[in-house]
Amino acid sequence: MSTPFKSLIAAAIVLLAVTSCQKDFLDRKPPNRLTFEEFFKTEAHAFEATNAVYEQFRNFDCIALPYIACTDVLSDDADKGSTANDAPLMIDIDNFTVDASNPLVAPVYKGYYRAIARANVAIENIPNIEMDVDTRNRLIGECKLLRAYSYLLLVQWFGDLPIITTTLQDDEYYAQTRQPREQVYAQIEADLTDALGVLKEKSGYAPADLGRVTKGTARGLLAKLYMIKKEWAKAETQCMDLINSLEYSLLPKYSENFLPIGENGSESIFELQAVALPTQQAAGPGSSPFNMVQGVRGNPNLGWGFNRPSDNLVTSYENGDPRREATVIYVGEILPDGLTQVQDNVEIINERFNQKAWVPSHPGLQDNGPGNIRVIRYSDILLLAAEAKNELSKPAEALPLLNQVRKRARGTNNFILPDVTTTDQTLLRERIYKERRVELAMEQQRWFDLVRWGRAGAVMQAVGKTNFIPGKHELLPIPQTEIDLTSGRIVQNPLYN
Amino acid sequence: MKQFNKRIKLLGLLICLLASSAFAQTRITGRVTDSASGDAIIGASVLEKGTSNGIITDFDGNFALSVSDPNAVLVVNYTGYGSLEVPLVGRTRVDITLSEAEGLLEEIVVVGYGVQRKSDLTGAVGTVKAKDIERIPTASVEQALQGKIAGVYVSPSSGEPGRGATIRIRGTGTLNNAGPLYVVDGMLLDDASFVNPQDVASIEVLKDASATAIYGNRGANGVILITTKRGTKDRKAVVSLSSYYGNQQIAKKLSLANGSEFAQMYNELPGNSNPLPNPEKYGAGTDWQDVIFRDAPIANAQLSVNGVWKKLDYNVSGNFFNQQGIIEETGFERYTGRFNGEYPILKNLKIGTNLAYSKELSQSVGGGVLGGVYRMPSIYSVYDSTGKFSDPTKFGQSIGNPAADLFYKNDQDTRVNRMVGTVHADWTFLKDFTFRTNYGFDRRNDHFRYHEPVFMVTTSQLNNLDRTTRDSTKTRNWLWENTLNYNKTWEDVRLNVLAGQSAQENYYKKRNTINDILQPNGEEIKEWAMLSYLGRVNATFFDRYLFTASLRADGSSRFSKANRWGYFPSLAAGWNIAEEPFMRNQKIFDRLKIRASWGITGNDKIQEYPSLGTITNELYSAFGDTIQQGSTLVNYANADVRWETTRQTDVGLELAVLNGRFTAEIDWYKRFTFDILSDLPIPDYVGSGSFPFVNAAQVENTGWDFTLQWRETKGKVSYNFGVILSPVKNKVLKLNEGKSEIFEGRTGSGDFATRTTIGSPIGAFYGYQVEGVFQNQEEINSAPRFGNEKPGDFRYADLNGDSVLNAMDRTYLGSPIPTLTYGFSAGLELFGFDIAADFFGVKGNKVVNAKAVSRFDTPNWETLWNENHWTGEGTTNSVPRVTNGGHNYKMSSFLVEDGAFFRLRTVVLGYSLPKRWLSNVGMSRARLYASGTNLWTKQAYSGFTPEFPGDNSFRAGIDYLSYPMAKTMLVGLDVTF
Repeated sequence: MSTPFKSLIAAAIVLLAVTSCQKDFLDRKPPNRLTFEEFFKTEAHAFEATNAVYEQFRNFDCIALPYIACTDVLSDDADKGSTANDAPLMIDIDNFTVDASNPLVAPVYKGYYRAIARANVAIENIPNIEMDVDTRNRLIGECKLLRAYSYLLLVQWFGDLPIITTTLQDDEYYAQTRQPREQVYAQIEADLTDALGVLKEKSGYAPADLGRVTKGTARGLLAKLYMIKKEWAKAETQCMDLINSLEYSLLPKYSENFLPIGENGSESIFELQAVALPTQQAAGPGSSPFNMVQGVRGNPNLGWGFNRPSDNLVTSYENGDPRREATVIYVGEILPDGLTQVQDNVEIINERFNQKAWVPSHPGLQDNGPGNIRVIRYSDILLLAAEAKNELSKPAEALPLLNQVRKRARGTNNFILPDVTTTDQTLLRERIYKERRVELAMEQQRWFDLVRWGRAGAVMQAVGKTNFIPGKHELLPIPQTEIDLTSGRIVQNPLYN
Repeated sequence: MKQFNKRIKLLGLLICLLASSAFAQTRITGRVTDSASGDAIIGASVLEKGTSNGIITDFDGNFALSVSDPNAVLVVNYTGYGSLEVPLVGRTRVDITLSEAEGLLEEIVVVGYGVQRKSDLTGAVGTVKAKDIERIPTASVEQALQGKIAGVYVSPSSGEPGRGATIRIRGTGTLNNAGPLYVVDGMLLDDASFVNPQDVASIEVLKDASATAIYGNRGANGVILITTKRGTKDRKAVVSLSSYYGNQQIAKKLSLANGSEFAQMYNELPGNSNPLPNPEKYGAGTDWQDVIFRDAPIANAQLSVNGVWKKLDYNVSGNFFNQQGIIEETGFERYTGRFNGEYPILKNLKIGTNLAYSKELSQSVGGGVLGGVYRMPSIYSVYDSTGKFSDPTKFGQSIGNPAADLFYKNDQDTRVNRMVGTVHADWTFLKDFTFRTNYGFDRRNDHFRYHEPVFMVTTSQLNNLDRTTRDSTKTRNWLWENTLNYNKTWEDVRLNVLAGQSAQENYYKKRNTINDILQPNGEEIKEWAMLSYLGRVNATFFDRYLFTASLRADGSSRFSKANRWGYFPSLAAGWNIAEEPFMRNQKIFDRLKIRASWGITGNDKIQEYPSLGTITNELYSAFGDTIQQGSTLVNYANADVRWETTRQTDVGLELAVLNGRFTAEIDWYKRFTFDILSDLPIPDYVGSGSFPFVNAAQVENTGWDFTLQWRETKGKVSYNFGVILSPVKNKVLKLNEGKSEIFEGRTGSGDFATRTTIGSPIGAFYGYQVEGVFQNQEEINSAPRFGNEKPGDFRYADLNGDSVLNAMDRTYLGSPIPTLTYGFSAGLELFGFDIAADFFGVKGNKVVNAKAVSRFDTPNWETLWNENHWTGEGTTNSVPRVTNGGHNYKMSSFLVEDGAFFRLRTVVLGYSLPKRWLSNVGMSRARLYASGTNLWTKQAYSGFTPEFPGDNSFRAGIDYLSYPMAKTMLVGLDVTF
């Protein structure tokens, strides 16, 4: 063998030596992260994937400025708040001059679809985990309920929706279209019914699991769905099942609901949880920005002062109704901590704040908010039950439910909030509607109630929001970016050009 | 590492095997140098007379040749120099000096994995030599390239001290990370920020596929080869000292509304319930730019020694560079040290190393000071009447006082320690073979630290816990390459065959803590690896027929097994017409060459795990008083993601006439980029937390590169003129997966600013066409409209004529890609003085002033919106009434501005002291100079500069406000002993 030939062979050996280890050399995965293939293997993974759905509901998009804008501010409960020209685009929502590019509308759409995606991946994959069957079913039920809750909000805001119940694959990303809202309702109903079958009652949870959704949550959301669909009997059934479960009762004092001591109290049916660790140095795990965006401006609340209770709301209470003081913070008022007096900020005209979003302090940074968000309270269900029964022409059964709420609000002061006695369906309906407003004021319920009642247009006209166009403004515009990205497969809502 | 032990053992085996194979010939070594300068002549041919046995001198001018007869005669030949015959008469070491002949000096250029004579090149390669880099001081090698090579576009990624530059080679093909591959002394890297420009011997920019395909894996965006200075053999140590000092200023300020203008506009806002009384009283107010911008010094000092000690040739240098930022409290300091050395252990085995150490310290300010300057209403002073920082939150929570940010948020710095180097061994055997093993490494530690004290300026500009944030990043990168080179020269044929293998691995780890507590998802570890095989054949026949073929196979860890390997071939041919016998008698052309090449290159420069769905941890959920762990799939992956490839054809002409005084290099090219990688937006209903990378589109770039030079020396006077011109056309040929359009690039309101469609340039701007301003309600009532317009609002064109104004009426509003980039340079040297200037410009592109759209509150306005805005019927038809966001801030032609500019990039005046003065003090050279950078710019755009940072071409040309450009004046002194 000639020498050059020998050397070439040797060189080839070197190259081969390197080649032989290419297999492991090029197979790389994140060293400190699991890949999707490695996940959904253990019971812990099932819990983590479920918890991750809850986490999304603490996201700014889902429960902070965009959420407030698309609920209370949209309704007659609240004005934008803060200074005159802070977040002026919220004025477009308040005044019904909103367009498809409004940067406060797209986030709720995005935020709740992200929650749906997290629920989908859990619902698809938890069934393959070998673990305790009851726990597995319960976790899937929690995810289904949270998915249904997201769709329930979205369908009320946007109407017809793309219904996504699986993790989309890349060839499906741009191909979805909006399905009629009846189909969205059916999807919600199916998920909630499944959840109702497998979830625990609230009393079944240890204190460290408070806030996980329960049978009661499923019943409450089903009741809300049926109220939207005007399926009164079904709504009545869900409400009464919930009431008769004896899991819930009204707190003796209305205002306690919104204080730290009222968190996860006997009245709490669905409450998004937040914990602000005092040791944490930044906006930490478990906290939420819900309190910050609505909080009183200045130390120690560090709020932004959005969501100002409107003049109309303030005048809508009956004389002496203590719920007004529990709902609205005025300049000069001593805050519920008993220490701080609200200072007048000269830059804000007619300063008021939402007391239901008030927390005594923010450990660490201002977005490290500790306050839970009360989504469904027992009094909400009592009033829905009363409303359903009245629609079913059972005023005698409706009245005690309504009066139960008034009695608690009244407290020991028998000179205010007398029992309602009318059995006329129309008059009673008005009393129930009125009661819902003041009982649930500034709790992000009002706008959905007005639309559900078909009264949004009339009420908005009455409070001077004359830009409201019936047939258009009951829904928000679909974000233009969504229409662009699907080349028009996603179509805009009527009259939004 | 186990595999490596195995490999090293095998290597040892190979060495033993081959060292034992002796041969009965006389081995001659030597070196070829220029008789005048003493510099090495690289690429000279050394031939045993009467045989085909020969070799080409290496980068240091060295050669080693085995001859059959100890008394043979060597024929040494180098184009541009005379030919010389050297009888050996028994010597085994011969050093040969050649004298420059009349005419052209043959250039040697560095190419991938080797050097080549320029006349033998079949590819398009641009070169910048040390002389040109040293003449004009720059802070980075990227800047040193600006305006020097046709087809190479350098834009500062930010005016911030220490920041690199964005480089685009031949237009926009690749989208996601279109930066070129840097090869610094054989080490493959994504940046060259650690290289001190004064250490650079030459920079080669490989532009066409013939040149880049040998780096197939990352060749698609072009390749920049940086060769640092080496020891100069056979001379006494040379000591060089150079330093400069200068001053920087903001090149152009923004025009913002002054105090009374702001107050007036604020009062005009619709529904403003709280107007400011007497707007006139605010007068000029505060120009916040004056509060944060400053004159900032810049200084540099360099000491280098090179020479040979025993048999070690070395170059050692140390450099100190300090650049204060033109924004207060910002600055950058860099210490670099370098050792390059090469040592012959055996007569046929030499080892060498290039080691660079750099230590950087950059200082910055947190909290978006620049945004504060842009947004802070000019009616405020720095302090209010009580002596506290003014509180602007009346106009919005997100407006902060920039002076307070400067005061409270300035304790922020980043320290970088970085060691980059290569160690190589070259073993020459069997007379024509050279085996090189080259190990390269890049070890880098970044430490970012930010301390924020407790303070409260406003309810949103505050910090109520003393905290120190730290980001510690560790990057480890190694490369091991083995190449075997066969180099043979016969009388009429030169042949070079290269085969090799390469492996590279990168490890990255980041830890984010606040007050030493690891933050949620605060630890990130990422790796990538690349395995490659490469081969190339260069053949030259009769000095005039040139052929190159190469093939590289690359395996990338970023792609799934099925898509992992990419194959990147190239073919090229050249014809040196001037060397033809029939051209011998003509006097016109000193050089005339045509060449053509074709090849494919690839790009995988995206995130490490695009095809793997990765679980996100620490999605904590709160229950009761507890916090529980949450994890799930948040960010979707694309299992099918594959190589992006670029197929490029290039035809070039090189000529030199009039005794080399005029040279021209003209290239025409066409590049098709397939399967462009980008993280395109997907609809929100998908629910993914980020956009997965996809192979999005196919794009064509067609263009020309012209490089024209006139150089002449007459006695003591020499002068030169140069022109570079690069017209380029960009067109999208296809969108993948049946898409008809791609939307990208958001303005501050969230609207898309670009729409890419087939036939349009990539990232074309898209929006409404402004027709005018509604003067009164009747006009509104009779026009297609959105519905909420008031008098004074924009009237957008109903372009599809359906009498309804909606998203269907948006249209193409221009391209962010310049159709022409161009540069001029001129230089003159006489009686020791030298003067040089170069200009650079672009035209044909548009930019979008997106920063003006971000009005989530009531920040200051640009003068553009203030001057002549609509205040009542008949006042104007071009600028709308005052509003905050909404209708008048939609993506429209109003936001689109001309992006063309023309800039005097550098001007330098130097004086070299006469040699006769210097020799008395032991100096060989001393030059004093003054220079200016960015002194003059002609631009239409209203912003700081029409060049913005950003890598993705689907969202290019959008101004979100970035650190402005500085103009610099400096004086310097270079001394050589």
